[in-house]
Amino acid sequence: MPDLLKRIGAPLTFGVLALLAVVTMVSDRRSLAEGGRDLPWWQAVMLEIAVPIQDVVAAPVDGLRGVYRDYVSLLEVRQDNERLRVRVAELEEANLQYREALVASGHLQQIASMRDEFEIPMLPTEVVALDVKPWFRSVLVDRGASHGVRAGNPVITAEGVVGLVTATSRHAAKTMLLLDRQSAIDGIVQRSRARGIVRGRGTNQLEFEFVVRGGDVMVGDVVITSGLGGVYPKGLRIGEIVELSDPAGGLLQTASLRPAVDFGRLEQVFLMMRRGPTMDLLYGENDGPVESARAPSGRPSS
Amino acid sequence: MKRVASLLGLGVSAVVLQGAIATWFAPPWCPDLALVALIGIGLRWRGLARGLLLAVVLGYARDLLSGSLLGQHALLYLVTFTATMVATRQLNLRGSWPLAGFAAALTVVYGLAMLALTGFFVGGVELRVGWLAAELVHGAMTGAVAPLVSALVGRVWDWAHDDPGPRPLGLDAVRRSA
Repeated sequence: MPDLLKRIGAPLTFGVLALLAVVTMVSDRRSLAEGGRDLPWWQAVMLEIAVPIQDVVAAPVDGLRGVYRDYVSLLEVRQDNERLRVRVAELEEANLQYREALVASGHLQQIASMRDEFEIPMLPTEVVALDVKPWFRSVLVDRGASHGVRAGNPVITAEGVVGLVTATSRHAAKTMLLLDRQSAIDGIVQRSRARGIVRGRGTNQLEFEFVVRGGDVMVGDVVITSGLGGVYPKGLRIGEIVELSDPAGGLLQTASLRPAVDFGRLEQVFLMMRRGPTMDLLYGENDGPVESARAPSGRPSS
Repeated sequence: MKRVASLLGLGVSAVVLQGAIATWFAPPWCPDLALVALIGIGLRWRGLARGLLLAVVLGYARDLLSGSLLGQHALLYLVTFTATMVATRQLNLRGSWPLAGFAAALTVVYGLAMLALTGFFVGGVELRVGWLAAELVHGAMTGAVAPLVSALVGRVWDWAHDDPGPRPLGLDAVRRSA
């Protein structure tokens, strides 16, 4: 008997561990399909240990990038200043005209109250780690449940949508990027209001799937979030159509989308501290500690 | 025990560090330090069953920090560790070049296996030329650092020797002085 055990010990261990891995994969897949999770403590420990270390390791490169960026910005600042002055004057003029029109129609008060309703607090956070494997698209950020971050919170930059928080520990959060193959968002073409689904491909481009009939989509069109699906608020920039595929007689056509966000240079991102109604339905509205979020110094434009 | 703890520490450190290093060199240019550390451990390890436990723990640690499904890296770490132990018996992987080649090949196979697993559990995976090219670059980068990381694992392996070997008894010294 001991001989037999010795002989089958390694294959048996392999089999049991492989089975365990498959079971956890299936259960994790189910959990992801439900939108993400707040990690149990024994999983959160790993994130809690990793994030401060990764923060320190990433710091020198972030610093160098910051210096370079500041230098380049300084070189362009005069031209930008001139251009922006002109642009501000134009926009102020246009704004004045719109206000006049709104006051005349009596809608200004109504719009002001709507804006208060849609203001979403944001939390600035640093990206401290990326996935090494090219087809997994997730990042770790250095804010977690103790800052009020919950699974399901949208993540954005000034350029547009970055992704969604899928798991949190106390001081860190794992974010699935739009590029991940498991990511899908409801989007609309800003120009024609044609609706479709934006999916990650696991590459640096996205895929926009829309119905051929009535779908007015052209190369160069900007795609924004539709607000449907209850995850992302409406109007956030997703990307720009760069190529239309041949519909080949099918009902659905796909287009390649260049993301608005440069995912290769993600450094600081903003966590939207209010989840969409779908996420609240999945998790319940009051799961986990939510502290008041700090407003970012510079609000993203989207 | 000291050796297991040290190698576990080294493996987890590799997982943690490579995530941060990926912010310096974006994938696929960032080498897979964690995989090379596992290969380095597999080259020296004796006794498959306990080694598999170590490999699966490192795999889960990696799963927690990456976008993969929980268990995906763990499963492939089991296979990689076993493959490395088998290869060590059949091939001479002591030199830098054979080790670099082995690590590069294993990284590419690992990547394709990861893709297949993702396709099976998540779906929507097509093998594209771009992905394959990225994986080849990733393999080459990983192969390039393999000798260095393996040497580091060797250092830790030697340092954390569990068996201190025969010690001279104090009696000899007493006898000589008498």
